[in-house]
Amino acid sequence: MDSIISVQNLTHTYTDGQNNSVKALDGINLSIAPGEFVAIIGTNGSGKSTLARHFNALLTPTEGICLVNGLDTSKEENMWQVRQTVGMVFQNPDNQIVAAIVEEDVAFGLENIGVPSEQIRPRVEAALAAVNMSAYAQQAPHRLSGGQKQRIAIAGVMALEPKCIVFDEPTAMLDPKGRKEIVSTVVKLNKEKHITIVYITHKMEEAILADRIVAMEKGKIVMMGTPAEVFSQVELMNKLGLEAPLAAEVAFHLNKAGHKLPANIITHKELCKALCPSM
Amino acid sequence: MLNDITLGQYYPGNSFLHKLDPRTKILATFFFMAAVFIAESALSYGILLAFVFIVAFMAKLPWKMLLKSIKPLWVIIILTLGIHIFTGQGEPLWQWKMFTVTREGIVLGVKMSLRLILLLLISSLLTFTTSPIVLTDGIESLLTPFKKIGVPAHELAMMMTIALRFIPTLLEETDRIMKAQSARGADFSSGNLIQRAKNMLPILIPLFISSFRRADELAMAMEARCYRGGKGRTRMHQLVYGSRDGVAACGMAVLILVLCILKWGGTLWAI
Repeated sequence: MDSIISVQNLTHTYTDGQNNSVKALDGINLSIAPGEFVAIIGTNGSGKSTLARHFNALLTPTEGICLVNGLDTSKEENMWQVRQTVGMVFQNPDNQIVAAIVEEDVAFGLENIGVPSEQIRPRVEAALAAVNMSAYAQQAPHRLSGGQKQRIAIAGVMALEPKCIVFDEPTAMLDPKGRKEIVSTVVKLNKEKHITIVYITHKMEEAILADRIVAMEKGKIVMMGTPAEVFSQVELMNKLGLEAPLAAEVAFHLNKAGHKLPANIITHKELCKALCPSM
Repeated sequence: MLNDITLGQYYPGNSFLHKLDPRTKILATFFFMAAVFIAESALSYGILLAFVFIVAFMAKLPWKMLLKSIKPLWVIIILTLGIHIFTGQGEPLWQWKMFTVTREGIVLGVKMSLRLILLLLISSLLTFTTSPIVLTDGIESLLTPFKKIGVPAHELAMMMTIALRFIPTLLEETDRIMKAQSARGADFSSGNLIQRAKNMLPILIPLFISSFRRADELAMAMEARCYRGGKGRTRMHQLVYGSRDGVAACGMAVLILVLCILKWGGTLWAI
């Protein structure tokens, strides 16, 4: 299967005015298949946002290449095609909504790429329906909750009908309710609309939903695999400054204390089953 | 305190005036302003006033609101009236030391203040019946033909849209910063004017810094959604002139025609 995003030997170096340079990404190799749900985890400054910004040509590689749907992101002429293929949702919902009315904001991307007026409305309505926000089409964004604003931002990206959406810590500024709304929306888009998801997060309960987890540190990929494979390596996770999900942590310590629990326990359900098989 | 703010002075409604195309309203406002300067006779001023009141009545606006719109400039209106009354040349009616009141002065003063009042009323009628967002669309659409001579129509409209979008957000932020600074002992309500202005600095600096950060993030989000300026851009809401706008244009034309006849008609017939 052809990958939708393919990164080969990607290095990105930030240079400031005084010629100090920082290597934010260092020889990354990664390919993401269509329809996949990939979570990228890592501590602050591990380079996960920098990597994500390469996926829709907001940044271009210093070395190596980044291909989106076979298009080289470093070529200027591919830029708009790339940005239509890979959409991006950012952390702060307030700072990515442009217009003063919800439906106008959702239409913003479509207006930018020059979709004829009569085709804009149905696509806006479909995008709002996909995130369950149709009832708010005429509202002013500043009257909505954080979770609702973030869903509007997702709708704005969805309207462009991308193949892939990159989420850059979309729940970091939300309350638990908003967080739940966003996570279920993301899962729904992946399962029902078969949109490839790249999901950057600090929260392991969210990363656990992914098909594959990529853990980063200091600009390098240090772990990669299914959630079970990654999270069951509790010691390595802790060394990276990450906290494994509670169930994985408990299972790890129980095993260390001499109990014989099966490996790869990462969810509460699995832990319960292992502890009381009769339940 | 900053919770429920309304932007501009839009008064939501469903009247004939509210439903007019914003371009029609903007153009009509300009024509009316021109008409104000054509008017000479008492009759023509009467017609203009009547026109404003009929329009206000059609818009179903509360009269109080309309009167309030004159309030900010009442000092200037009174001053205009006063200066004209006391400096007019002509037949003196009343004299005291160096002050002379003339008949011509009174007439000119009343005319000038009426002009000011009419200009204020008609522009308020525009903003009362048109939401800022629709007004922005109208301005962009009207300015588009002038792009060729370098008028940045799209950029101006984009700036207005973003400003409208972020005013509530920044107000909220100001509120939050004020509370945070008060919690650390900042005092915003005592001292003289200079002292108070100085006390505002701890609000302004964080506000500016966060605005720049917001601008940066917004720019990135806009780019990620394929924004590349006004070129090749389409709009979801296209402004379309309806039969309503024809009616309004006819009304405006009749008004201007009547005023022209009142001014120059006499001489025409004299020839």
